[in-house]
Amino acid sequence: MSPLAEHIVLRDLDIENIADFDVYLQHGGYEAFRTAVTERTPADIVQMVKDSGLRGRGGAGFPTGVKWGFLPKGVYPRYLLCNCDESEPGTFNNHQIIDRNPHQLIEGIAISAYAIEANLAYIYIRGEFAAAARRLERAIAQAYARGFLGRNIFGKGYDLDIYVHRGAGAYICGEETALMESLEGKIGQPRLRPPFPAVSGLYGKPTIINNVETLTNVPMIVRHGAAWYRRFGTEKSPGTKVFSVSGHVKRPGNYEAPLGIPLRELIFSPDYCQGMRSNRNVKIIVPGGASAGWLTADDLDVTLDYEALAAKGSMLGSGGVIVLDESVSAVEVAYKMDEFFKHESCGKCTPCREGTYFLVKVLHRIMHGHGRREDIPLLHDVYNQMAGNCFCLLGESAVVPIRSALRLFPHEFEQAIAQAGNGHRKAHAVSVR
Amino acid sequence: MPNVTLVIDGQTVTVPAGTNIVDAARIAGIAIPVFCYHPKLKPVGMCRMCLVEVWTPKIDPATRQAVIGEDGRPVMTLMMGKLQPGCVTSVSDGMEVRTTTDRVRFAQKGQLEFLLTSHPLDCPVCDKGGECPLQNLTMQFGPSTSRFDYADKIHFEKPIRLGDLIYLDRERCILCSRCVRFQDDIAGDPVLGFDNRGRTWEIISKSDPPFDSKFSGNTTDICPVGALTTADFRFKARVWELRPTPSICPHCPVGCNISLDMRYDRLMRVMPRENDYVNEIWICDKGRFGMRFIESPERLRQPLIRKGDTLTPATWDEAIALIAEKLIAIRTHAGAAALGGLASPDLPNEDLYLFQKLFRQVLRSPNLDFCTGAPGEPAIIDLGATLGVGKGTNLSNLGAGTSVLVVGADPEEEAPLYVLRLRGIAARGGDLTIINPYPTKLDRTPARVIRPRAGAEAFVALALLKTLIEEELIAADFVTRRVQGFDELKMRLRNHSVASLCDAAGAPEDVVRSAAYAFAKADNGIIIYGRVALASGADLIDALADLALLTGHVGRPNNGVIPLIPGANARGALDMGVHPGAGKKRGLTAREMWAAAREGRLRGMIIAGMDPVRDNPAAAEALDALEFLVVQDIFLTETAQHADVVLPTASIAGREGTLTNAERRVQRFRQARIPEFNTPAGWDVAQRIARALIALGVKPTAPDGQGDGRGASRTLAKTAATTASSDQWDYAVAGDVADEIAATVHGYADTTYESLGLTRKPQWGRQPNEAIFYDGTSYENTEGVGVQIAAEADNPKATFTLRARVPPLFATNDAYPYTLLAAPRAYDGRAWSRDSKLLPRMVTPHLILNADDATALGIAPGGLVQIASEVGCAVLPAQIDRNLPRGLALMPDVDGAPLSRVQTGPLTRIAIMAHISETVGTR
Repeated sequence: MSPLAEHIVLRDLDIENIADFDVYLQHGGYEAFRTAVTERTPADIVQMVKDSGLRGRGGAGFPTGVKWGFLPKGVYPRYLLCNCDESEPGTFNNHQIIDRNPHQLIEGIAISAYAIEANLAYIYIRGEFAAAARRLERAIAQAYARGFLGRNIFGKGYDLDIYVHRGAGAYICGEETALMESLEGKIGQPRLRPPFPAVSGLYGKPTIINNVETLTNVPMIVRHGAAWYRRFGTEKSPGTKVFSVSGHVKRPGNYEAPLGIPLRELIFSPDYCQGMRSNRNVKIIVPGGASAGWLTADDLDVTLDYEALAAKGSMLGSGGVIVLDESVSAVEVAYKMDEFFKHESCGKCTPCREGTYFLVKVLHRIMHGHGRREDIPLLHDVYNQMAGNCFCLLGESAVVPIRSALRLFPHEFEQAIAQAGNGHRKAHAVSVR
Repeated sequence: MPNVTLVIDGQTVTVPAGTNIVDAARIAGIAIPVFCYHPKLKPVGMCRMCLVEVWTPKIDPATRQAVIGEDGRPVMTLMMGKLQPGCVTSVSDGMEVRTTTDRVRFAQKGQLEFLLTSHPLDCPVCDKGGECPLQNLTMQFGPSTSRFDYADKIHFEKPIRLGDLIYLDRERCILCSRCVRFQDDIAGDPVLGFDNRGRTWEIISKSDPPFDSKFSGNTTDICPVGALTTADFRFKARVWELRPTPSICPHCPVGCNISLDMRYDRLMRVMPRENDYVNEIWICDKGRFGMRFIESPERLRQPLIRKGDTLTPATWDEAIALIAEKLIAIRTHAGAAALGGLASPDLPNEDLYLFQKLFRQVLRSPNLDFCTGAPGEPAIIDLGATLGVGKGTNLSNLGAGTSVLVVGADPEEEAPLYVLRLRGIAARGGDLTIINPYPTKLDRTPARVIRPRAGAEAFVALALLKTLIEEELIAADFVTRRVQGFDELKMRLRNHSVASLCDAAGAPEDVVRSAAYAFAKADNGIIIYGRVALASGADLIDALADLALLTGHVGRPNNGVIPLIPGANARGALDMGVHPGAGKKRGLTAREMWAAAREGRLRGMIIAGMDPVRDNPAAAEALDALEFLVVQDIFLTETAQHADVVLPTASIAGREGTLTNAERRVQRFRQARIPEFNTPAGWDVAQRIARALIALGVKPTAPDGQGDGRGASRTLAKTAATTASSDQWDYAVAGDVADEIAATVHGYADTTYESLGLTRKPQWGRQPNEAIFYDGTSYENTEGVGVQIAAEADNPKATFTLRARVPPLFATNDAYPYTLLAAPRAYDGRAWSRDSKLLPRMVTPHLILNADDATALGIAPGGLVQIASEVGCAVLPAQIDRNLPRGLALMPDVDGAPLSRVQTGPLTRIAIMAHISETVGTR
C-alpha cells in the first residue's frame, strides 16, 4: 500500500479502468473543466494554479502559474503545447499516465488552454509512443463527441481543438524550443532565447509548454482547490511527483509520492521499491534522469524535492530515479550516459556536437583497457570546454555524468588506466579463447 | 536609436542600442573571433566561438538601482554566471565585456580544438588554404596540437556535389549554417538544408535540380572553411598566387564590382568586390561563372577580309585601309546618310563614345543605334537621364520608410542582384509592390503582388495615379514648384474611376489603392521597370514618370526611377549618344536601317559587338544587300560571317574602361592581362578607322549632339583644351577617352578617370581585422567605388510635364487568342556562355503555357506546340506553368528562340495548337 490515501496523477491505481471514458466520467471526469468554463474566469484558474504552487514536472521545476502569467496581454492566438517527448533516460511516467489515465491529461490540457485563453493545443508525443498516441487520439475523439472539445464548449462560447503530433524520435525535441521547431515541420533544434516561448513561440505566437504530468495535476487542483493541493509535499515543492525508479531495486516502476519523500524511503520502503536487488549496496543514484548529478549511498537521507536536491548539486529533473549497485563500473555508467547524449546531440553548437563525441571516444578507450595517463586531465578539460558554453541544456547535461563520475569515483578511472594494456585486454583475450 | 555606452577590454565604446557585442567590439577595433556570425546575416549563436565575459551592474531587486560597492563603483556580476556568445548578446549601458581573460581564452581554444577534432587538416590541398578563417583563427586563438586521436576522426566521402556548380566537403564543414542562412534570408532561394544530426549533421540540397539558385557561388565566399568550393575554381590555383584585378561585371545593368583573379595571364576565378552602392559583397552566378568566354579558343585573333565567299586573315593595316577606302567611296557616291552603325549596349563607354564620334564627326552620319532591330524588340523609353534616381542613392541603406514599385520586370533574370537588394529593403521593413503580368521569383519576397493582364500594365499605373488624385496623396509642394500639366492630367483622367482603370488592367482595386497609398506616404519612393514594361510601351512609362512626379519621389537621394534596359551599358550607350535621337539631326533606328539597307538607301555599316543576325534572320537579308559591312567582335558571330571585314577586339580582361550602370553609377574596370592575341580595345578600333579616314582627307566636323554645349560648365575649359587633340584622334589610353567623355558628355563632368578610382574610407563600417568576415570572400574595394552622375531631376530648377494618358485597350483578336511575351532569361545561352560551367543550365527555346490552357489545347508538358501569328509560325516544346495567367504565353528570349519569326511587336497575338504531325521523343 502506498502511503498516499488517494493518488493525484496515477489515479489508475485507485480507480479500476479509469482509462475508460465512462469510468472517468463516473468519477467526476470533466467536472473540473465544466466548473472552470462555466463558473470561473481564465484569470481565476491561473491564480488557483499559482496558489497551488504547482511546479513544472518536466525537469526545470518552474512554477506553472507564474509561467502562464508571462503571456503578453492581448496577443492572440496563443498556443498550449503538451510536451510528451518523454526521452530522458530512466523516465517513464508520462507513458503510464497516457496509457492508464489519458482522460485526466486531456481534461488538464482543456482547463489549462482555457486558463491561458488558447483555442488550440498540441500534444507533441514521442514518435516511438505509437500506441499511446492512438490512445490519446481516441480519448480526444470521445471528448469531442461529448462536446468537451470543439466549438462553443458548455455553451459558453469557448472553442478548443487538440491535436496529437508524433515526433520523429529525437531527445532534443523535448527541449521546448526544439519541440516547436519540430512541430512547425523544421529540423528539431533549439531556438535562440530570448524571445521566450511565452512571448514568441509556436509560429511566432505566445506559447505555453507544459509537461504531461504537470497538466495531469491541473484537474485535481481545480476540483479540490489550491489549499488541498498544498497539503501534499513541502512548502516550496507542493504536491506529489511520480518517480520512475529503475535499476537494481527489487521493485522498479512508477511511484507517486509526496514531494520531499526521503530517497532512502523511496528505495527501501516496502511501500515503494522494497530495497536493493540481491541486497547489494547502493553505489550510484541518479535522481532526476541522466541529466541529474549523481548521488551515492552517503546521500540516501536527502529528501526528493527541488530545493534539497539542488543543494546536493543534483536536481529533481524528470523524476527518473536510476539506482545502481556496487556491481557497476562508474566509467561504464559515464560512458553509457554520454553515449546517449552523443547520439542525441542535434549538432547545432560546436561544444555539444564535438564535445560529446570527444568524451565518448576517450571513455570508450579507458573502458576497453586502452586508457592513457593523460586521459584524466583530458576528460576534465573536455567537459570544462563544454560546461556553460553550449547552446542549450543538452550539451550541459552531457557534462554531468562524466563530471560526477570523475568527482565521485576518480580511483576507478585511475585503476582502469593503470591496468591498461594488461587488465582488461587480457581478460578479453581469455574470454575469446 | 538611443546610444549605449559600454566598456570592452578597458576601452569605452558608444554604439546604437540593439548592437550585438561582436559588432560593438568591431567598432572599437577589437576582433572577437567568430565562425557562424556574419555581418550580413542574422546572428544565430551556434558556433560558440565568440564567447566572452559579459559583466553587468548588479541590480538591487528591491530598489531596482545598481548596487554600489565599497570602492564607490557599481558591483558587477557575470551575466548568467557563464560566458555569453557575443553575436547574440545585445549591449546595455554600463556593461563591461572582457574578451581576453583566461576563461575566454580557454573557451576559444576549446571550441577550436573541438572544431578541429574531425577536420581533415588537408590545408595543403584545400582551395581555401591561405584565405581560410579556420586556419587563421586557429593560428591566432587555437591550440597548436590536437589531443584528439587522428584515427578517431569521422570520415565522409570526399567532395560531393551540392549542385553542378558547388562541391561540398563534409569533413571540412564546421556546420556554421552560413550557406543555408544566405540562401534562406539573403537570396530567397531556400534550397539548402540540413540532414541527420550530431556529428553526422550535414548540408544537403533540397531542390531539383540540386542547388538551384542564381546566387549559389556566394556561399563559397562566406564559407569560413574549405567545405564549399566551386566547380570553376577547384584545384585551379593557390590563392596567394592570384593577382586580383578590379573589374566590373559585363553581364547586366547592375554593374557588380568584381575581381578577376589572374595567375599570370590566365583567369582563375571571379570574385565579388565590395561596393555597398551596387552589389554589397555579392555577385550572381552569371557574373562568377560566366567569364570563361574570354579565354575561349574560338576567340578571333586577327582581322579577316572577305575574298569571294571566304573570310581570309589580313593585317590590321590592310583591313583598316580597306575600310577607310570603302566608307569614303560610299559616302562619296551615296552620301553620309548611307552609312550606319550599330554598337552593343554591352560595350564600355570609351568604345561607344568614339564609335558615335566616328559616325557623327568623321563620317557625319546620324544613323546610330544600340538595338538589334528585331521585330519584337521594344522601343527604349528611358527615364534614367531625365528623372533617374537621385545622386547619392544607396539601396543597401533603405528599409522602413521606403516603398518600391517593381513594374514589368523580372529582376532575377534581367539584373539578378536587384533581387538581393530588394529583398534586403523588404527585410529591413521597406514596402514592395510587384506589378507584372506573370509570376517571377521576386514574388517570394514579402510584397504586394498586382498581376495585370499582359499589355494592360499602363492601366495599373493610371489607377495608381487616379488614386493619388482622388485620395489627395499628391506631394502638393513639389508639384507646384516643378511639375506642369497637373490640371490637364486631371482632365484626361476625369472620365475614369480607379475601379474602371483596375478593371481594364484586371487588377484588384483594393491592392492598387493600398500600393498607391504606401508609395505616396513613403519617405523614399523608387520605381524599377524592366523588359515587360518596355514592351508595354510609352503609355506605361509616361504614367510611371507621372507617378514619381506627383508623389515627389524624384530629384533627391533614394528616390526616382531605375530603368533596367537590356545590356551592361545601355545607360552608357544612351548617354554617349549611340542612338538615333541623340544628335541635332535624327538618324535611323536599327529597324529602319534594315529597311533602308533592303531598299538600297543604306549602303555601308559598322556593327560593333552585336549579333543581330543570330536573333533576327531577317537582318541577314538586309546585311547582304549592303555594299560594305564591317563587324568588330571577339567571336566570329553569325553577323560577322556576313561581313566584308571582321575586326577582332579585346575582351573586358584585356583592356580597361568604364561602364555606367542602371543607377547611373560610372565605374571603372582595370586591365587584367595583356590583350588576348594583341587585339585592340573597341575604342582603339574606332580611332584607327577615324585616323585612316582623316589621312585620306576626310574633314571632321565640330561636335554634334552630345557635345552640343550641354556639358557641365565646370569642364568647359577642359573641353577647349581637349578639342585640339580630339580632332587629331590622338588617344593613347582609355583614360584619354574617359577624360574627354567627362569633359564633353552631359552629366559626366565628375567622372574623370581619376575620380572614378577614388574609394571611400572607411568603407561601410569596415573595421580593422575584418579578415574573419571577408578573408577570401570579397576583396576590399581599393580601386574605386565609381561616381554616380546626376539626372536632370537632380537640378532643383528642372521642371517636368505630366504626360500620362488613357490608351485604348490592347486589341483582342479571335483568330489569335493568346498574347505572346518574350521573357528575359539570364542564362540565355548567348556568346558569353562559352566554356562556362553554367552551360548545363542554359535555357533552351520553349513556350510556357498556363496549365488549363494546355489541357484545353491537348498539350502535354514537353510536347511540341505550333504557334502562329499574322507574320509567321514556329514549332517548339511546351512547358506548363500552373501559375501563369490564362491566355498568356511566354517565350524565353534565349539563343535560338524563334521570336523574330512570329513577333509583330513587343506584344504579339498568337494562336497555339498542339503540333501533331510528328512526335518527338522527349523522354
